[in-house]
Amino acid sequence: MLTLFQSFGKALMRALLLSQFMPLVLLAQEEKELVPVSSTYAITNVNIIQSPGRRIDMGTVVVRNGLIVSVGKGIPLPPEAIIIKADSMFVYAGFIDGLTRAGVNKPKDENKDKVKDPGNPPPDRAGITPQQEVRGFLNSSDKSLEKLRNIGFTVAQVVPHGNLLPGQAALVLTGASSTDAMLLSNKSALYSELTGSGSVYPNTLLGVMAKWRELYRQASQAKLYESVYASNRAGLERPIADKTLEAFYPVIDQKMPVLFRSEKLLEIHRVFSLKKDLGFPLIIADVKEGWPIINKIKSSGAKLFLSLDLPEEIKKDKTKKEDESPTKTPAQLEKEGLEKRKTEAIANYTSQAANFYKAGMSFGFSSMSAKPKDIPSNLRRMIAAGLSEDVALASLTTVPAQFLGLSDRLGTIENGKMANLVVSDKSYFNEKAKVRYVFVDGILYTIEVKETKKTDSNAKVEIEGNWSTVAQTPQGNTEGKLTFKKTSGTYSGTISGGNLPAPVDLKEINLDGNTLSYKYHVNLGGQTLSIEVEAKVEGDGFKGTITAGQFGSFPIEGTRDPKK
Amino acid sequence: MRKLFLLILFSSLLTSAWAQVERGNVLIKNGTVLTITKGILENTDVLVKDGKISQVAKNIAAPAGVKVIDATGLYIMPGIIDAHSHIALDVINENTNAITPEVSTADAINPFQVIIYRALAGGCTVSHALHGSANSIGGQSITIKHRYGTYDPDVMKMEGAPRTIKFALGENPTSHGRRDGLQPQTRMGVEFVIRAAFTEAKAYTEKWDAYNKSKLVKGFRGAPPAYSYRYETLADILKGKIILHCHSYRADEINMMLNVCKDLGIKKLVFQHTNEGFKVAPEIAAAGAMASVFADWWQYKLEVYFSTAYNAAILVRNGVVTSINSDSPDLIRHLYHEAGKTQKYGGLNDEEALSLITINPAKQLGIENRVGSIEVGKDGDLVIFKNHPLSIYGVPQVTLVDGIVRFDREKDQADMRLFADPKEALDVTLHKSGHDHDNCMQGTEFLFGSFDSDLD
Repeated sequence: MLTLFQSFGKALMRALLLSQFMPLVLLAQEEKELVPVSSTYAITNVNIIQSPGRRIDMGTVVVRNGLIVSVGKGIPLPPEAIIIKADSMFVYAGFIDGLTRAGVNKPKDENKDKVKDPGNPPPDRAGITPQQEVRGFLNSSDKSLEKLRNIGFTVAQVVPHGNLLPGQAALVLTGASSTDAMLLSNKSALYSELTGSGSVYPNTLLGVMAKWRELYRQASQAKLYESVYASNRAGLERPIADKTLEAFYPVIDQKMPVLFRSEKLLEIHRVFSLKKDLGFPLIIADVKEGWPIINKIKSSGAKLFLSLDLPEEIKKDKTKKEDESPTKTPAQLEKEGLEKRKTEAIANYTSQAANFYKAGMSFGFSSMSAKPKDIPSNLRRMIAAGLSEDVALASLTTVPAQFLGLSDRLGTIENGKMANLVVSDKSYFNEKAKVRYVFVDGILYTIEVKETKKTDSNAKVEIEGNWSTVAQTPQGNTEGKLTFKKTSGTYSGTISGGNLPAPVDLKEINLDGNTLSYKYHVNLGGQTLSIEVEAKVEGDGFKGTITAGQFGSFPIEGTRDPKK
Repeated sequence: MRKLFLLILFSSLLTSAWAQVERGNVLIKNGTVLTITKGILENTDVLVKDGKISQVAKNIAAPAGVKVIDATGLYIMPGIIDAHSHIALDVINENTNAITPEVSTADAINPFQVIIYRALAGGCTVSHALHGSANSIGGQSITIKHRYGTYDPDVMKMEGAPRTIKFALGENPTSHGRRDGLQPQTRMGVEFVIRAAFTEAKAYTEKWDAYNKSKLVKGFRGAPPAYSYRYETLADILKGKIILHCHSYRADEINMMLNVCKDLGIKKLVFQHTNEGFKVAPEIAAAGAMASVFADWWQYKLEVYFSTAYNAAILVRNGVVTSINSDSPDLIRHLYHEAGKTQKYGGLNDEEALSLITINPAKQLGIENRVGSIEVGKDGDLVIFKNHPLSIYGVPQVTLVDGIVRFDREKDQADMRLFADPKEALDVTLHKSGHDHDNCMQGTEFLFGSFDSDLD
């Protein structure tokens, strides 16, 4: 009785609240979404890259009701068309992402009770929910979808959250009027990662590999028995339904691939070992370290999505002069050697795509572990490392369309295909290119081009005075006091505080625009250690890096002391 | 004709299965050959062809194009074998259940660990990458060849080596049981868990045997028993297809395991650690079991309070096939020193001492027909030593696996990693460049706060 009353009360409250805010809500919606006056668009005067290598200069693409209806030069513009003047811009087929979790909600952790017997947990606690469909977790208003769309991705293969066997993937649009409308194709693959639960069986890679094989063999056995039973049920024990095992059936029938996230080289080997034992169709995605075994990957017959994430390049400090002293310390030599190895390693990751192509292997790309904002520049790095622009484009469009069974609808700009398009103001792979418009299933998304805020380097930056600095070292923060003086255009100064016994004179103080640099020396038990600081000054603060010889570089920040 | 076709088919299958394993041709000239099984041969050459020892004799003429290594004044011994190690593995324990015989360390091989190269630098060419000892029935383990340089974990596996599995007794599996309030919590519990597992495995096998038998009857209709990877493995132990390696310290638990194996008809049994093996050496020998021990390492926990550096010698003198293992990435680099300790403690002769790290561990891994001694037909796994390997001055110079030089002291470089991390922070060792340690960081406290503790 009480609960009934309570829920009635809640409903009343809600109604009151709603009526109070209703006009506001409506207003906000009206402002937000204007229904386009027409669903016909004409992109005019645009360089059309119909597919890699097929180009129409200064042509027109007409889109109607979500489909591409005409492509070419001198096409009559339908009177109802909204005209997009894309003078000398470039239009491409919308990009396709082979693996991401953009637009996928995380399931709520409802059940966190301690598992009584960690050796025999319920399947969902062990990360084994292959029957689960990602469809149930889609969210069309997820910000990460917009980020992917803004750099040209219009379709993505998405997977549920989780570790070992979280569920089934789907192909979704990166923009849609509703969560249901996102879905392009359900159950595109069975998704898996070779990671254990971390607390219950299978806890580690060892258990994961064993469990994978056992589940697959049990599923094969159950499937076989079900078919025997179906053909003649009289006198046979009824097969007991098992949702975990049933999820494997389409895979066993070779109708659905298993999609593995396989970033590391050893992960690829381990996935191949499962494939060799069990014989399922396979997609490996977000591959980062495939280059040492290109031939093995090629002969495996697996479909391949390379990661769009790349390790950061080593930033070369141009202002720093190379140490030209003829004798190098062992520490310098060691550091140089390590840096060389690291540079070579980074080059391997960057040239991976080019090397797969040279070996005659097609691949798509996946964004799973990449930051969307890095993707265009990472593609340019791959191109600089030998990948041709055509192949890069094919790997974003035609190849993934083919891998995912979408070639009849997506991948090229042709009559009758879905209106998934990317328009960029320059060639997409140009450093200065900006995506201006993206069509997803005929819906236009205009991307605001943010003018990069120019920091006025001519603005007067003055450093004279007293500053307090904080350097963040692995051993904690170290504070110091700086004083700068300017006499006839040259700076002088001192540093004190920290554990310095006495103030030390600063050397080579330079202020170039808003870039401040200075050096000083400290005595290290008879040895002199040179400390260098470089920072950007903005107003009454600066941020930069302090480098203490072989001990490394750390962030440093300064603030101007208020004038007394 | 058909035979010929089959032969071609078979050989092509073989090459495709092990295609990536590199095998070399090499002639090692004029060394003192410590064959282990066939005595010491002075001024003798060893010829390796396609990865196998093809001739051991004086003055072998170098076949055309074969690499020649001059071993004048040097010793040649078979590659050292470590019967208990955990190197080259990404994961060692799957300890969520008291029994996990379905898992295998073969799935977690990591061929990029630099430790593998360091083991080669200590002359070790084969190791037994064991599952850990956290649960009573651990996982299957893998015998690996130290083919450092490969990017393929499958190439690390010693092709054709028998399957092995790790069991564990005593404190390790019981502490885990006590933590989770599960079996086993006592030594009695460990025995029960092992016996219960095999009883269930037997029942499983019987169900499948009955099913397979009735399937032969025409018109049979029925459901098969549920497949279990776990019981399949245990059944294979009972069938003698898997060598059982059992972590053990105390004499009572060693006795218990001998009884369990006797009852179950398990014949292939190797005790690992076996620190109180000296108390039950005749019993181990009588059962035909073997023992793999440390040279002189004990008292690191209560159950391993009693032991002696004479352990290995006592076991050997009682006729137990005994090996000395490392169980450590450090000891694996100088197992020849470890073997040498048995000469001080127990007075083993050179051949007996060297057998502890060559032919004996090979027997324990079921690979004695392939490695462990220098004999024609065996694998070209060889170490060239400057000074006798049992001398404190013995230093490995060149280590070969399958006739391929995998370590050469003259070509040893500072950075032998196969994979460099593209995201690593480049932190160099703090070189002391000659000046006193106490001074080297003086005056830098302002930079690093309390840095001293990290330096030492």
